[in-house]
Amino acid sequence: MIDPQGTVSPLPAPDAPGHAPLLAPPPNHRQLFFGMMQVALSAFGGGLSAWSQRIIVEEKRWMDNTSFLTGLTVARLFPGPNQINMAVYVGARFRGLSGALAALAGMLLVPFFLLMLVGLAYFSFHSLPLVDRLLAGVVTAAAGLALSMGFKILHQYQRDPVALLLALATFGAMAVFHIRLIPVVLVAGPLAMAWYWPRGAAGPGTDP
Amino acid sequence: MTEALLLASACTPKSLGDWTNLFAVIRDFLSLSLFSLGGGNTLLSEYHHLSVSEYCWISSNQFADLYALAEAAPGPSSMLVGLLGMGAAWREGPGWALASAVLAEVAILLPSTLLMVIAALSWNRFRDSPWRIAFERGLGPITLGILFAVGLKILHTADHGVPAYLVSIVVCVLTLRTRISPLWFMAIAGLLGGVGLINR
Repeated sequence: MIDPQGTVSPLPAPDAPGHAPLLAPPPNHRQLFFGMMQVALSAFGGGLSAWSQRIIVEEKRWMDNTSFLTGLTVARLFPGPNQINMAVYVGARFRGLSGALAALAGMLLVPFFLLMLVGLAYFSFHSLPLVDRLLAGVVTAAAGLALSMGFKILHQYQRDPVALLLALATFGAMAVFHIRLIPVVLVAGPLAMAWYWPRGAAGPGTDP
Repeated sequence: MTEALLLASACTPKSLGDWTNLFAVIRDFLSLSLFSLGGGNTLLSEYHHLSVSEYCWISSNQFADLYALAEAAPGPSSMLVGLLGMGAAWREGPGWALASAVLAEVAILLPSTLLMVIAALSWNRFRDSPWRIAFERGLGPITLGILFAVGLKILHTADHGVPAYLVSIVVCVLTLRTRISPLWFMAIAGLLGGVGLINR
């Protein structure tokens, strides 16, 4: 929320101004850094969004749940990895750009360090026959996960034939005609936005 | 597949020691950053194109390996870029590889982070804007199409032969139907590879 004084404040849920005292004072840069590090460490088994909600809303009480969910919406809408965007959102709401960078650094530091260890080990040993055989198996499971990404969100569009057509056209452009991502998005994006432009009637003449 | 053809046609690794190459790579990652819809996974086929076909840092098999490692490692998605950056400079030695990894990760995150800061601070001004609504509704189906294309691309990159495809499809179905941790799938598939049931 942007409060009447014009400073960015996460405090009041719009319908419950009296609940503000339940929230902790706004975190400083150090608290943002270590708070996000705690989120990243807690989420080592997975479930990063759930952990950030638990820690930011319930444990640290930096935000109420409404503000958190708004943040999640913005994080999903804008480009970038969702969890990283969420950290940036939290940091930016309290301390602007430098707060966002502190939160981002806190979230990335430990996982990135571990990833670098993994990478050093990989590039040093991947040509060993046993390592290569293990990885030949592991990648098939990872490919299964990659394949599931589209199916996971498919149900949201099942009742919208135009959406399915757009998805099919996008898929075809990339998978069949090997058109690169940026041109695909730059052409299909505006067409789709014109079709879904909010107004009474559906979009005119933008059939893809 | 086309990758095989591209690999066969004189693909020499671009050295990052050359400044023009380095700037080209940074520019590519910076511009991709703003196209990472749907949480970043939409960029996977671009990563493959850049690191395997265009800059020839790593082989297609290595790309599949790095994707799997990034999925298995804890932490946010998109960390794959750090591993690709490492692969890009591995020939120059581990020190350069680490520097390149950090640089790649910063390049892919910086533009989207700056945009996200602006979004966080001005959300109330545009939350009801028709642009926001059209963007959200319109880009959803496109993200869906991209994710299917990306999934297929990874499948073709990782899998060689019937057993591999079978494992991938089983994992895909189980991922959608159950809440089993992906690490189990990777561990079991790794064992199948280790005993020689899955080859490439």
